[in-house]
Amino acid sequence: MVTGRPAAEIPPPAPPPAPNRQGRPATGGRPLWLMWPNLVLLIVVIAIPFLIAIYISFVDLDQYTLRRFFSAPFIAFDNYIESFGASNLLHSVWISLAFAVLTTVFAAPMGILAAMALNTRFRGRALVRSAFLIPYVLPSFVTAMVWRFILQPTGAANNILGWFGIEGTQWLIGGNSFWALTLVDVWASWPFLYMMALAGLQNIPGELYDAADIDGATWRQKIRFVVLPQIRGQLLLGLLLSTLAHFNNFTLPFVLLGTPAPEAALTLPVNVFQTSFQVFRFGLGGAMAVISLILMMIPAIIYLRASRLTADAGEE
Amino acid sequence: MTVIERRPASRDPQRILPRWLQWTVITLLLLTLLPVLYMLIIAFSPDVEAAQGVLWPSEFEFGNWGAVWTTVDLAGGLFNSLVAAFTAGVIATVFGLGAAYCLTRFTFFGRKLYLNSLVGLQSVPGVMIILPLFVMFSSFGNAIGIQLVGTRPALIITYLTFAIPFATWLLVTYLRQIPISFEEAAMIDGLSRFGALRKIIFPLAVPGMIISLVFSLLVGWNDVLFATVLTAPETQTVAVKLQVFAASTESGALPLYGQLMVASLISSAPVVILYMIFQRQLVGGLSAGGEKG
Repeated sequence: MVTGRPAAEIPPPAPPPAPNRQGRPATGGRPLWLMWPNLVLLIVVIAIPFLIAIYISFVDLDQYTLRRFFSAPFIAFDNYIESFGASNLLHSVWISLAFAVLTTVFAAPMGILAAMALNTRFRGRALVRSAFLIPYVLPSFVTAMVWRFILQPTGAANNILGWFGIEGTQWLIGGNSFWALTLVDVWASWPFLYMMALAGLQNIPGELYDAADIDGATWRQKIRFVVLPQIRGQLLLGLLLSTLAHFNNFTLPFVLLGTPAPEAALTLPVNVFQTSFQVFRFGLGGAMAVISLILMMIPAIIYLRASRLTADAGEE
Repeated sequence: MTVIERRPASRDPQRILPRWLQWTVITLLLLTLLPVLYMLIIAFSPDVEAAQGVLWPSEFEFGNWGAVWTTVDLAGGLFNSLVAAFTAGVIATVFGLGAAYCLTRFTFFGRKLYLNSLVGLQSVPGVMIILPLFVMFSSFGNAIGIQLVGTRPALIITYLTFAIPFATWLLVTYLRQIPISFEEAAMIDGLSRFGALRKIIFPLAVPGMIISLVFSLLVGWNDVLFATVLTAPETQTVAVKLQVFAASTESGALPLYGQLMVASLISSAPVVILYMIFQRQLVGGLSAGGEKG
């Protein structure tokens, strides 16, 4: 049924041949109109909302003016000035950045070690591989909910700490909440880096290992001089994507810590959400969203560069 | 030869870590999966013991699995999630295929920009998209007298914002692997461009389309942000239903942790199963941008 449906969408009658034929001299015309639906949809659902988001960030829009948002008072850069001055935006930027980087730093060694441990054949390897994916493929809202339950004051975490004579504590409020959030996200995300590292390992030709063996390399030297240089590209992309995803992660902090989020773990996406949909300061929220987009663009540009290299490499 | 034989530890040339370290790593990482097991245990535990953080219940409680369906509208949530995520996935895949075909087969003005946008758009923060969409839906809804916020189409439109760039990009990476010579051969043999598209490309692209549909569906299923803002009680996806239920459980007089864990397990089961089936493609899809760095 999945295969049947799209067939009906592609109209069988031949289109009028496209007049311009630069590029590849192929026969049968260039049905470029095939991409118009995609382009139109991209414009309608992303480009227009995007422009409206920028517009919103320049007006004083709240729940009272929402009904007539084109007549909302234009206040130029006041929302931006408030974002940087009176609001806790900079605090959130710092929290999100620390959270994203720390999570990636903690998850990376786990992922790389896991990939290397699974690079040899052994009985039950397929099972272990699947098991390692579970934390990653569990929906974030489930992960967050389970950990919220484990980390509550009378929960299993404090119970287990008690066995070792450690006094239980509040994990989900106050200063600890930042570390709870980091811990849970490391738990949920290390398999991503494991998969990226594994994909890199599978591209290493066997001769390199043979050569290392013949040269009498120890396993540490093998990691350092064969494995890490060989998976570098794949790994860097993984680290970047991972950091980006943590920075953007809304679900995990939102479900794990609830709203209003504790000050120590008020990440940027949750902050924008609270400003927009709980305080109903849409204008201010819009300004904060635009600022966070600009911040996101810095790593995104690096990402584009990285993927452009491969986009070119993958072609013809 | 003798050099190699002196080192029995490296029989398998692919082996990197020594055996002891390999098994330490595997064991430790498997131990981190205990919370998943704990979820399962609590699903069979009495609520009072679960609330005290007991690791193993004094007796198993099977009632949770039946009671949860009436305590919370779980079936409705699952249905809403499926409808919204599946519809968005189908639309994105169908529209994505046309664009992916052009992007991989022709060169034209703006092609590079288009490809880069597809990648870049995937990193746009969700809060940046949901805010204008919410404002648009509520003010246009007011203007034409129809309530849009809380309806299914509104939710599907927001899911398209990530499903389209994602599905299109995935299909671009997929179609790129189908050699152009296949179509050229078919066209030399007398098929039209569309004949080649229908008879050659389309059948070859079906696996890619299934993958794009499945992964778009999964991203939609896991969404919390859009569904929290845009759904009413009767259109709530399972993610939101679960959260409302969790909140009521925590603040209520009697905790329903057992049922909460049952609901969590049920709502993650389809996702986990789909991921396990498409495990190989998951790795390929994730690293689609960077086969070689």
